[in-house]
Amino acid sequence: MDHKILGVVTLLYLSIFFLHVLYFAVKKEKILSFMWILLYVTLGLHMTGLVARWAESYRLGIGHAPLSNFYESLIFYAWCIGFMLVILKKRLTFPIITMMASLIAVGFMGYASISSSVERKIQPLIPALQSNWLHIHVITCFVAYAAFVISFICGLLYLIKWKNVVPPKEILEEINYRSVMVGFPMLSAGILTGAVWAHYAWGSYWSWDPKETWSLITWIIYALFLHARFVRGWKGKRIAFISIIGFLSVIFTYFGVNFILSGLHSYAT
Amino acid sequence: MSVTKNNIYKFLSSLRLAIFLLCFIAFGSIFGTVIKQKAGAEEYLSLYSDTTYTIIKYLGLDDVYRSTWFIAAIVLFAINLTLCTYGRFARLIKTEGKVALPGESELSAMPMAFRVGNNERENAIASIKKGYQTIYEGEEGVVLQKGVISRYGVYIIHGSILIILIGSLIGTLFGYKGHITLRKGETKDQFILRGVPPKEAPLGFSLKCKDFQVSFYPGGEPKDYVSKVEVLDNNRAVMERDIRVNSPLSYKGINVYQASYGASTSFLFTIAGEHVTLSERETYEKDGFIMMIARFENSIHNFGPGVLVAYLDQGEPKAVWFLKDVERLKEQKIQGVNIKLEDIKEDFYTGLEIAKDPGVWVVWTGFALILFGLYVNFFIYYRRIYIRNTPDGLIIAGMAFRNREGFKEEFEKLKRKVSGNGS
Repeated sequence: MDHKILGVVTLLYLSIFFLHVLYFAVKKEKILSFMWILLYVTLGLHMTGLVARWAESYRLGIGHAPLSNFYESLIFYAWCIGFMLVILKKRLTFPIITMMASLIAVGFMGYASISSSVERKIQPLIPALQSNWLHIHVITCFVAYAAFVISFICGLLYLIKWKNVVPPKEILEEINYRSVMVGFPMLSAGILTGAVWAHYAWGSYWSWDPKETWSLITWIIYALFLHARFVRGWKGKRIAFISIIGFLSVIFTYFGVNFILSGLHSYAT
Repeated sequence: MSVTKNNIYKFLSSLRLAIFLLCFIAFGSIFGTVIKQKAGAEEYLSLYSDTTYTIIKYLGLDDVYRSTWFIAAIVLFAINLTLCTYGRFARLIKTEGKVALPGESELSAMPMAFRVGNNERENAIASIKKGYQTIYEGEEGVVLQKGVISRYGVYIIHGSILIILIGSLIGTLFGYKGHITLRKGETKDQFILRGVPPKEAPLGFSLKCKDFQVSFYPGGEPKDYVSKVEVLDNNRAVMERDIRVNSPLSYKGINVYQASYGASTSFLFTIAGEHVTLSERETYEKDGFIMMIARFENSIHNFGPGVLVAYLDQGEPKAVWFLKDVERLKEQKIQGVNIKLEDIKEDFYTGLEIAKDPGVWVVWTGFALILFGLYVNFFIYYRRIYIRNTPDGLIIAGMAFRNREGFKEEFEKLKRKVSGNGS
């Protein structure tokens, strides 16, 4: 059931992407208002898919929120990206940003449902994951990761010259900063809730596990972003570069640590 | 202050140093995630060449987070953060006291400003003052503010980072870690303290494992590890609890965590009429007689399970097999002592992690404060409204230091409300 819903959701994100393509071809504002409505519908259906999976896990007698393995985290990540677009809607008047974000969401959804290295079955919670800290930790981390996707898109667009498509530089900087403003506190909350959880589960709130270390590295990069921007008044390309590097660090924290380095956080199956 | 002292202070409190140190710490930590930490020499030599290993060892890359250079960077960062934050805070306090109402021309030049006629004066002042704090009131006008706490957000965040670092220092200095393994029914008052080399240390009380259970899901994944543990203080039972993963036991500031488990075999002997339970490699000693369980085999030439018992015969080591299923070899005499192997039992033991960290509450305080600071800093913003009397009414101007867009909307609403009355 949940797989079918999420399959439709993936197609809807793809449709949202193509609506943007259509918009750039014919430049009718109506398409954009329809796109936003479709995005709301998609997010609702996406959430329904997650809830269906949740319900299914209870039917299997191993009930837990769908936030526990790699597959579920990918699906949730895609949802968070859509959610972040809604949060920043007022500022996202330039459709290229929503277009790239929807493409990234399609990427995560598609990877989750197609890749052979992703276990799609509902798995029971191993003892280490049986904690109420799981929900708040995963939610804060992925909201942060999603905010950094928007920051990354702005950073990338900043370096591209494409008249009438790429928004003015000041607007990109403003959105970039806005998304880091959401992402940074959320990442902090994610790291801290993780630390408290680790204290109860592993006996130490910080053990320099690769995932912990890389989340700290990511945190430092975005802290540098904020200080460079506000205290030293950095602007333009340099800030764009920091947001790109920051996102690469996010990706490494999320994927790289699971696939390349091993540690306590090895739930990536 | 002399010139050099001043320069050193300037350097230590500079943002430039902070940025450098943060980059250095971030970059340094990467090594700890790609090079295996705290492994033995053989393991490194199987992965790297001799020269590389020498470099790794020399730079402390086999234990990055405890290496001198890494800790030095963190200490320097703490000093830098303290000085940097203090300097900025002092400057903020200095300007905080000085509130001035700009002149009419200055106010009308502000991006957010409007005028109100004389007949709406009272009304306008009253409705603008709602929700705002008056920080200056004089003949010529008023200065109002809102969200002043957001100006302290940065200091709360920086202060919290220092509190967290202090908490972790307390933990490093006065805390310790170790582990203990307990078989069912076993009581211990010593644990293995982590260190090089690990050594036994008194727990300060005793732990008795009354039971240990592992349960699995139908698919075979582990579901639950539970140790039923009793705490004995001065031989008096003071507490009994189930220790699970995510649910440690805490007694006298020491936390006991469910960490691992394993199967162990124990051997029931009757030695000179006394019942004794021994495990592999355990030594039995009484009245000058010493024996040790040297080895266990599940099956010896189809004769079933056997235990090799070692003893000393006039200084010479000797060993004899006890076979559980062979009547003749089940009961034997060693140096005149009658020994009988009664039973061999396969049983679980539980592995518990022992940790004491007196700094953890300091760290938690830092966590709570930093979240508060982040909220205040990023989700509340500081804004000011100036109201100045003019010959024909009022000039009202607004200023926000951050989130100008958000304030613009609020200000526009305010403008509509104030000038909407009657005009």
